Amino acid sequence: MSSIIQTQGLTKVYGANGTAVHALRGIDLTVAKGEFVALIGPSGSGKSTLMAILGCLDLPTDGTYTLDGRQVQGLSGGELARIRNEKVGFVFQSYNLLPKASIARNVELPMLYAGVGRKERRERALALLEKVGIADKADKLPGTLSGGQRQRVAVARALANEPALLLADEPTGALDSKTGAEVLGLFRELHQQGNTLLLVTHDPSIAAQAERQVEIRDGLIAHGEGAA
Amino acid sequence: MNTSGAFRERLLGAWVEIQENLGRSVLQAMGVLLGVASVLGGFSISDSQRKRADEMFVKMGGLDKLNVQPKAAVRDGRPTALQQANLGLRDEDAVGGEALKADAIHGVSRQKFARVRVVSAYGDQDRQISGIGGDFIPANGYGVARGRAFSASEMDTGAPVVILGTEAAQVFFPKGDALGQTLRVGSVPVTVIGLFEERVFRFREGQRNQFWWRNRIIAVPANLVQRRMNGDAYRRVDRVTFRIPDLGAMGGFAKQLSDLLKANHRLQEDFRLDDVAARIRRRNSQGDVYDIIFLLSGVLALVGGGIVNVNIQMAGLKERVREVGVKMAIGASGREIFKGFMTEALLLTALGSLAGLALGVGFSWVITKSLGIPLYMTPASFLWAYGLAAAFGFLFALYPAWKASRLSPMEALRYE
Ligand SMILES: Nc1ncnc2c1ncn2[C@@H]1O[C@H](COP(=O)(O)OP(=O)(O)OP(=O)(O)O)[C@@H](O)[C@H]1O
Ligand SMILES: [Mg+2]
Repeated sequence: MSSIIQTQGLTKVYGANGTAVHALRGIDLTVAKGEFVALIGPSGSGKSTLMAILGCLDLPTDGTYTLDGRQVQGLSGGELARIRNEKVGFVFQSYNLLPKASIARNVELPMLYAGVGRKERRERALALLEKVGIADKADKLPGTLSGGQRQRVAVARALANEPALLLADEPTGALDSKTGAEVLGLFRELHQQGNTLLLVTHDPSIAAQAERQVEIRDGLIAHGEGAA
Repeated sequence: MNTSGAFRERLLGAWVEIQENLGRSVLQAMGVLLGVASVLGGFSISDSQRKRADEMFVKMGGLDKLNVQPKAAVRDGRPTALQQANLGLRDEDAVGGEALKADAIHGVSRQKFARVRVVSAYGDQDRQISGIGGDFIPANGYGVARGRAFSASEMDTGAPVVILGTEAAQVFFPKGDALGQTLRVGSVPVTVIGLFEERVFRFREGQRNQFWWRNRIIAVPANLVQRRMNGDAYRRVDRVTFRIPDLGAMGGFAKQLSDLLKANHRLQEDFRLDDVAARIRRRNSQGDVYDIIFLLSGVLALVGGGIVNVNIQMAGLKERVREVGVKMAIGASGREIFKGFMTEALLLTALGSLAGLALGVGFSWVITKSLGIPLYMTPASFLWAYGLAAAFGFLFALYPAWKASRLSPMEALRYE
């Protein structure tokens, strides 16, 4: 069995000694290729902190992290950027689209950073928008789209470089339940196509649709750490 | 990796960014614009002034001439016995001098002056007349408008012929029929065989003619003056002029000539050469002060603009932290972010510079117009103005771009 995520003793401490916040206190987590894992836990338990580290947006204070066979700690900023670009697709609760760039350009951007040529970028972006069901919006600006549509764009962008790992931090948190369900349907589809998926949610009904639930409390895994 | 494609994308992104923040961008371009306009305008105005001065020199037959004259002390004072025995400045000196550097010398002329009474049917005046020899007419910027110049044999034999400047012609033959008439110069009746073109030069439009006195010329062959008016057995002359267009060769020649004349004059320095080195120094330093002042004001404008730009960029960066965070989250490296910011700043500098060049041209045009001199701009001025703006634009873009590139993706994303 090949694992996409393998962490050992991950800790994260914010701030200096006096006011230090121990957001993570030793996370051992393994996620196998093709798994769909839901990350749950109370507010402030460290879910977002863990996701940021798994997505190489931030570095752990201590511990080791191997992503798709590659040791992450000790890598340079440029190498981390490359991993974020090629191995990870991140979907945020607040979409985080670039407001001044068209939908297609938003989706093209990760490919631009990867050095994909102009024509291929465009083609792949359109194919991805087709896949998430909003091909007709390619030349619109994000501001003109509904929340659900924006989240679809974000998913298309996350898939741009065919990442080994899809991370989604409360992707339906800002959506009404109907649109949320639609977006979740999209994630299930992606899982069925073989993508590895790690999703943070507060909604038990969403968590129930994952293959496995991992619960975090106070920076520690309370439940479900091993791979299925 | 398709680098040219990436560059085009960055340029495109920068262009979009500039358009989206038009107010801020115009403000940022302003400093560059004023700096460029100031450097270009300043240089062009002083170039125009210098060019005009050069033109005057050329028209006067200036710069490229080395004059040799007898030393005043010998001419007027009470000469010593040795000085009395010396030979003075003679035709031979002109010939010997030319032989020194025949290839560099484009003409030698001699002058022998006399102050005599000049009489025609209409005028009777005490005038200075110029006995001329060699290439005097072209070398001094004269041209024969009507009639003809002296022939070689007339020069040689000192024939009784005269060419008049426009003022002299007007005084002595006001009816305009001077050609062919006879004029009495001293005791010698001479025939008018030619009339010079009128000499006119105004440094600025509307100024008086600075060459008016050249139109007073009454020119006869130098040998005529020597033989029949003011001469001596040595055939001394009052001025020998060598024309040497190559300013570099002139310095060396002046030294050689000085040595030769000294040797020929029994080691007496009874002659005076133009101070060529001083002349070249003066020529080269003309307008330097203005260039420096304008350069300085341009640089100050660019530095001032640059500092303002850093502030605007840093303020703008606050609004853009999230954008930087998003870009980093989807794989932009710090280097990529840095390049993006630099491209934007440099594009802005380029656009500001172009506008500044246009403004600078207009500015110089207005100023030179009001000074009444023709506008003269060199590519060097454009390069200086543009180059300085580009250099300062680059320098002042570095800090904000570096700051942006050093943001951590997580913190940038959390930034509200
Ligand atoms: N940049 C930071 N500086 C200081 N403390 C932080 C920082 N980011 C997170 N924390 C703290 O770390 C702890 C974990 O935060 P985290 O955002 O990971 O929780 P979460 O599980 O995602 O909560 P939520 O469900 O509300 O999103 C919290 O106590 C939070 O206040
Ligand atoms: Mg969170």
